[in-house]
Amino acid sequence: MTLYVQSIVSGILVGGVYAVMSLGMSLSWGVLKVINLVHFAFILFSGYVTYELSTTYELDPFVAILVVVPVFFLAGMALQWAFEKTRINEFESLLVTFALLLIFESIARTIWSADFRQIPAEQNPYVSDAWWIGDIALQTPRLAGFVVAVLVTLLTMFLLDRTYFGKAVRALAEDREMAVAFGIDSSRVSILLAGMAASFAALAGVFIAMSHALTPGLAVEWFAIVFPVVILGGLGSTKGSLAAGIIIGVVAAVATVAAGPSMAPLITFVILILTLLFRPQGLFTRGAA
Amino acid sequence: MNRYLRGAIAFVVAGAVLWFFPNLAEAADLPIFYLLFAYFVFFWTAQASSWNMFTGYSGYFSFGQGAFYGAGVYTAATLTAKQGWPLLAAVPVGGLMAAALGVSVGFVVFRLRQLRGEIFALLTLAVAFVVAAFARVVPSIDGGNGIPMNDVAVPESLGSFPEMMYRMGLIVAMLTLFVAFALRRSRLGWGLFSINDDEDVAEALGVPTFRAKMAALAISTFFAGLSGAVHAIQIGYVTIEDVFNVRVPLFVIIMSVLGGMRHWMGPVIGAMVIFTLTDRLNRAELDVFGQTINLEAFNQIIIGGLLILMVLLVKEGLYRRIQTRPWLALGGLAFGVTLALVFGGEASPISKMAVGMAGAIAAVLIPFYRLRRSAAADLEEAGEVVP
Repeated sequence: MTLYVQSIVSGILVGGVYAVMSLGMSLSWGVLKVINLVHFAFILFSGYVTYELSTTYELDPFVAILVVVPVFFLAGMALQWAFEKTRINEFESLLVTFALLLIFESIARTIWSADFRQIPAEQNPYVSDAWWIGDIALQTPRLAGFVVAVLVTLLTMFLLDRTYFGKAVRALAEDREMAVAFGIDSSRVSILLAGMAASFAALAGVFIAMSHALTPGLAVEWFAIVFPVVILGGLGSTKGSLAAGIIIGVVAAVATVAAGPSMAPLITFVILILTLLFRPQGLFTRGAA
Repeated sequence: MNRYLRGAIAFVVAGAVLWFFPNLAEAADLPIFYLLFAYFVFFWTAQASSWNMFTGYSGYFSFGQGAFYGAGVYTAATLTAKQGWPLLAAVPVGGLMAAALGVSVGFVVFRLRQLRGEIFALLTLAVAFVVAAFARVVPSIDGGNGIPMNDVAVPESLGSFPEMMYRMGLIVAMLTLFVAFALRRSRLGWGLFSINDDEDVAEALGVPTFRAKMAALAISTFFAGLSGAVHAIQIGYVTIEDVFNVRVPLFVIIMSVLGGMRHWMGPVIGAMVIFTLTDRLNRAELDVFGQTINLEAFNQIIIGGLLILMVLLVKEGLYRRIQTRPWLALGGLAFGVTLALVFGGEASPISKMAVGMAGAIAAVLIPFYRLRRSAAADLEEAGEVVP
C-alpha cells in the first residue's frame, strides 16, 4: 500500500517537471502557431549545461538556474526572430525544427557521447536527500521541481491575465490579423513569448539534470510525455499544462509500479488517444474542437 | 483504363530490363557490392514513394514512417523466424499490418475538426515510440532480445542471396512506384491534391475527404510495411533500436522534400541522390591535421542542414527544376562525370556517379533569371496540368 501512495506522491512531484517541460511547447503551439521541436533540444542542452557547470565549475545546480535561464531565453528569442525573418509557415516550421532537433541531438552526441552522464553526488547533494512525511519520501530535487512548477504556472497566469503583454498575447492567439490591425507589434510579442517558452525548457532541463542521468536520445523520448500533456492540458492553457502534467505523472508512476517501467509509455499513449477521441480541446479549454 | 496503360507498359518494360541486371553483372564479373547498392536504392525508393503518396499528395505531414516500416519488419520477422512461415507469405502480411496501424491512426485524427494536420504529424511521431514500446514488452514479438533472421528459408528460385534481395527490392519498388504514378492520375489522387490545396473548399465541393484520406493512408502505409517486411531479411538481426530509430522517417522526408513532393518522380530522384550521398559520406575519411575523421558521425547533421536549406530555398524540389531545365541538368551530369573520370583515377564508379549527380544538382540550382518567376509559371510552360 505504501508503495502505491509513494508512487502517487512521486508522480505528482514529477508531474510538476512534466508541466514545466510542456508549458513552453503548449504556449508556442497555441499562441505562436509554431510547433517547436527544438524545445526538446533546449531541455537537453540546458540539462547538459547544468551538468557541465556543476561538474567542471563545481557550481550548485540551483545556482545554475541563474545562468541557464537567461541564456536560453536569448536562444529562444533568436530562434523565433529567425522564424519571423524567414516567414515560414506552420508545416515548414515543423520540418525545420525537426531537422534542427536532430542536428542538436547529433551535436550533443559528439560532445558528451551517448553514455549516461549524471552530476556526481559531491556537487549534487540533493539527489539522495529527501523530506519525510511518515513513510512517504519527498525527494528534494523533485519537490523543488514541483514548487518551481507551481510558481512558474502562477507567474505565467499572472503575466497572461493581468499584464498588457498578456493581453497582447491573448489577442494574438485569438486572431492574429485583427490584433496586428489594432496595433499590436506581433513580432515583438512573439519573440518575447518564445524567449519565455525557451526559459521554461531551460528550467525543466536543470531539474532533470539534478535527478536523472542524461543521454542525447532522451530528447526524442521526452516527446512521448510532452505531447500527451500538451493535448490533455489544451493548447496554450497554463493551468491545463500543470493539471495534465500531474495527471500524466501520476498515471505513469502508478503504471510503472503496477506493470513495470516499459508499460508507462503505453499507458500515457492510451490517455492521449482517449483525449483525442473524446475531448480533443483539452481539459479546461471550452468550445468545440 | 487508358490513362494508366502506357505507364503500366513502361513500368513493366523497365522492371523486366532491371530484372536481368544481376545476370549481366555476373557475366561482366561485377562485384556483389553493386547488387546490394542497387537493393538499397530500391528500398529507399519504395520507402520514400510510399511516404510521399500520402504526405506529398494530401499535405498531411507524417513523422510515422518508422512505425509503419517497423510494423512490416517486425511482422515479417516474427512470422518467419518465430512461427516458421515462408518468407513470401509473410511479406504481404507485413504490409497489411502496417496498413491496419495506419488506418487506426487515421481514424483517430481525421475525425477531429481542428488542428487535424498538426495533431496528425505529432501523433505519427508518437506512434513510433508506442509501437517500439509494445514490441519490447510483448515477448512473442521481441521482448527486448531482438530476432535473429539467419535461419529463415529464402526463396531459392530468385538466385543467390544478393540476387534475391535485388529482385525482391525491385518488385516492391516497381509496385510502389506504379501505384504512386497511377494514384496521381486517379480520382482519388485529384481528391488528395484538392485536400492539399484547401480542405474546406474540397469538402464543400463534394470531395469525400475523410474517405479519401483513409484510403490513401492505407495504401501508403501498406507499401511502407511491404518494403519493411522485405528489408527484415536484409537486416539479418532485427532489434528495436535499429528498426525504430529516427533514420527512416528523417530519410523519407528529406528524400521527398529534395526531389519534390507533388510528383511521383520526386522521391525517386531524392532517394537516389540522398542514398548515394550518405553511402559515400559513410565511407569518406577526411584528413584534418593528420587526424582521420570519419564523416559518419556528421551524417545526421549534414542531412538535417540540407533539409533546412531545401525547405527554405528550393520548396518545389529538384524534379520540378530538372523538368524546367532538362538540358542544363544533363550538361551538369555530363560535366561532373567527365571531371570524375579524368581526375578520379581509381575511385569507385559510384563515387564518380555521385560527382555527376552533384554536377547536375548544381546546374539546376544555379540562380538564373527564371528563378524569379513563380513555380506556377514554370508549371504552365511545362504544359503540366497539376490536378
